[in-house]
Amino acid sequence: MAEQLKILICDDSMLMRKKMKEVLEQCGCKDVIEAEDGQTAVDMCKEYRPDVVFLDIVMPNKDGLTALTEIKEIDSQIKVVMASSVGTQANLIKSIKMGAHSFLQKPISSEVLSELIQNIQNEGGDAHV
Amino acid sequence: MFSQYFGQYLLNKNIVQIDQLKEAMEQQRSTRMKLGVLAVNEGYMSAKQADEIHQIQMQKDKRFGELAVNAGYLTEEQLDKLLTFQPKQHLLLGQALIDCGYLTMEKFGGALTCYKEDHSLTDDQFSAIKDGDIDALVATLVKFGNDENKQVLTEYLSLFSKNMIRFIDDQIRIEKAVLPENYRTDWLVSQEIKGEVSLYTAIAADEKVFLQLASKYADEELVTPDEMAAGSVGEFLNLQNGIFLVNLSNRGIELEMEPQTVKHKAQISDIQSGYLITVHLSKGKFNIFLSSQPHTLNVE
Repeated sequence: MAEQLKILICDDSMLMRKKMKEVLEQCGCKDVIEAEDGQTAVDMCKEYRPDVVFLDIVMPNKDGLTALTEIKEIDSQIKVVMASSVGTQANLIKSIKMGAHSFLQKPISSEVLSELIQNIQNEGGDAHV
Repeated sequence: MFSQYFGQYLLNKNIVQIDQLKEAMEQQRSTRMKLGVLAVNEGYMSAKQADEIHQIQMQKDKRFGELAVNAGYLTEEQLDKLLTFQPKQHLLLGQALIDCGYLTMEKFGGALTCYKEDHSLTDDQFSAIKDGDIDALVATLVKFGNDENKQVLTEYLSLFSKNMIRFIDDQIRIEKAVLPENYRTDWLVSQEIKGEVSLYTAIAADEKVFLQLASKYADEELVTPDEMAAGSVGEFLNLQNGIFLVNLSNRGIELEMEPQTVKHKAQISDIQSGYLITVHLSKGKFNIFLSSQPHTLNVE
């Protein structure tokens, strides 16, 4: 079931995108695309309608929280997981209010990421397939 | 971390020679014992629990023992017992120098006393530093004078030291360097923190050390200063600043930060204020540039 999920990873660090993609692929997710800033992520959501988006917060060309709002406007069913080093009280509260599925504090271990993607599968994350 | 300072002190005072110190440090490194290993060895924690705490430790600015107690994996009594098993690093260094015949017990004791006196340390300060208290070490050895943000700067540097030890190199030593009027560097990775406290933060390194930092953080060998290398060092600074903001947020201070930038052959000119901190690694060194008045900087 995991390979049916369409996933978008949005982070301005190529290292982070690569590491997360490797873990997701090990979990069986084959349909993983990448964006390096918030605006590109929003554009890709319009075009590809992913099931899950991993979204950094501090990024050039549209920050993650703004992108979260716009992605939810495009399709409220997209599960957006905030993945950031800035897990401040303010960002956690804003993320929840704006409809984020969950918040991952960086650095993100492969175990935590694997567990989360399995939970999303169990929640029926392949609704968009 | 104190053992690096003490080793450097022994060198500066001509008590040992560089080759002798390197040999002793190699020996010291091979006998290092981490608390998690001791806890598993004693049967207090499972390997899975120890791994879990190590993972949490990378995200939170807390010690292994404190996190393990909070998680209910260790009792306070067990932690106290484990800490008595964990040898202090400077003692291992001293032991190695004595074993190699480069230092007598008397000279070792004398050097410790002189170190304390030369740095005007109180008994409590010296005890904390010897016990590996990085906050105490940074606060005692890196002074920010009358800067109104000196507490924030000290906290920042202390956290930076811990993250360096966790992710890059556990043999670091930091010291303040002279702030030039103009500063040129091969690679400049910077990020600005904004809000009630403003802070310009930057890592400046030559290409060799830049790649060394990138490779260590990425956990793979990176041989060219490409987007991956830039992303790695940038992400390390981003992580450091993110955790710093989380620490302040937990005290009710909410700050924001700009995306990190990576520049090749960069220059900071007409520097009005700030601090240049040299970070000595096992091999090589780089600088951190901190300024609480980012608007006064001219970064090209």
